[in-house]
Amino acid sequence: MPRSLWNGTILVAAMGVPVKLYSAVQSQTVSFKEVHLEDGSPIEHRRFCSAEEVEVPYKEVVKGFEVGENEYVVLEKDEITAAAGGRTRYVDVEDFVEADAIDPVYYNRAYYLGPGKDGDDAYRLLHAALSKTGRAAIGRFTFHNKEYLAAIVPLGDILALHTMNFADEVVSGGDLELAEPQRGPTEREVKMAGALLTSLHEDFEPDRYRDEYREAVLDLIGRKAAGEKIEAPAEEAPAEDDDDLMAALQASLDAGAQKKKGR
Amino acid sequence: MPRSLWSGSLSFGLINVPVRLFSARRDVGVHFNQLHEADGARIETRRYCKEEDKQVGYDEIGSGYELEDGGQVVLSDEDLATVAPRKTRTIDIEAFVDLAEVEPVYFDHPYFLLPAGDGEGALRAYQLLVETMGASERAALGRFVMRTKESLVLIRVRDGRLALTTMLFHDELRPRDGIAPEGAKKPASKALDEAVALIEAMSVDWDPARYEDRYRERLYDVIERKKAGKTIKAPAEEKETSPLPDLMAALEESLAAARGGK
Repeated sequence: MPRSLWNGTILVAAMGVPVKLYSAVQSQTVSFKEVHLEDGSPIEHRRFCSAEEVEVPYKEVVKGFEVGENEYVVLEKDEITAAAGGRTRYVDVEDFVEADAIDPVYYNRAYYLGPGKDGDDAYRLLHAALSKTGRAAIGRFTFHNKEYLAAIVPLGDILALHTMNFADEVVSGGDLELAEPQRGPTEREVKMAGALLTSLHEDFEPDRYRDEYREAVLDLIGRKAAGEKIEAPAEEAPAEDDDDLMAALQASLDAGAQKKKGR
Repeated sequence: MPRSLWSGSLSFGLINVPVRLFSARRDVGVHFNQLHEADGARIETRRYCKEEDKQVGYDEIGSGYELEDGGQVVLSDEDLATVAPRKTRTIDIEAFVDLAEVEPVYFDHPYFLLPAGDGEGALRAYQLLVETMGASERAALGRFVMRTKESLVLIRVRDGRLALTTMLFHDELRPRDGIAPEGAKKPASKALDEAVALIEAMSVDWDPARYEDRYRERLYDVIERKKAGKTIKAPAEEKETSPLPDLMAALEESLAAARGGK
């Protein structure tokens, strides 16, 4: 059983669901330390005062919010903590929404929720009711001295809690300029691309995909450890702009059909 | 126009579209600077070689990997660049999946993909993908490497543009064993009916603009008060509207309140 990060209660009106919060993510990225290339010695980050050329011990460092040029409001740790709010043991559910209506851009970080002390019945009830209605509970909770918007949804036989991005944190398409082609794709091209899309349709099976890059990095480490010289691969020539979409679509469809036959 | 974070090509069958990647999440959080308490000057971080006790530049820093036997392998950026060069330049679309089948637990960071440059072929191919995918409930599944990390990605249409979401690999999610309540007990049907009724009574359409970042507002308020020389006190732990201990009684009271309140 993993260790929980936070214990509290999901509050839906007068109904409380005691829960424990667990981390859902375990990074598998190959981790490196910064080292000096020349001698392999570890790199240290040292803090210097930009005005005095002296190294500053951590206890002499304060946090300042910039309110003007070179003008800061310095906040103590407990002053920053004061913004966290007073409700530290609850996920206050405000609304329920259709879970499928939430665009993926709003999801930030995922956690698992398990039942808290004496919470099995209430946990099962909330899980069953969310599953039956296809809804997500939207609430707020304070974690590590910061208040988050959160969505609670069923995930298999458990509940997942997602911290959410606020509306003003999400960039909309209109914020990014898109140039239009002089001549749009033809109906025939759209139809062929649709056929190509359909031919590549699969069920989503997440365990089919492995992080091959991680394996390649570990392989590189192995080769370097064995004293092998690492050679740069030949540069690929950049592709030329080619607007013969029909030919590319036809060739893609043919290649797909060929592959199917070969199976 | 914001700065693009990555550029490369999006490959779909034999169609290649040069694209640039932009974050779809903007940082509006409250940021602090580290200052020297004595004189209020900004703190700079400098990198030092521990062995030689001398400052080193970015270009003199490599990546050290610790081996099990205690030894170390040092890789330069050039060494790392030799790994899977295609993946660092190309997003290969491998399949199309139903968006509804992908559980949000896999989602990592949201981005937009836009055509790079204004070549007619690139713009038309981009438009073709937007039109084709926009007409379907399906999303493209691909992968690419950015900043020495490979991600599975989901590409779909949002606001007339290709939206890309990086996803976690399956083994980057912790196993879920031992988290669910033990036993296969099911809730009583009366309790489930009432809980469903409570959820329906508290349901609204999803509208992200309903929810403001109150933490950010409070933090700005704290900064304003401090600037004005007022004292800042942490709020006392609020008196909780504690839940009723009996589940059925809590449900009934909640339902009555939710219905009465509307």
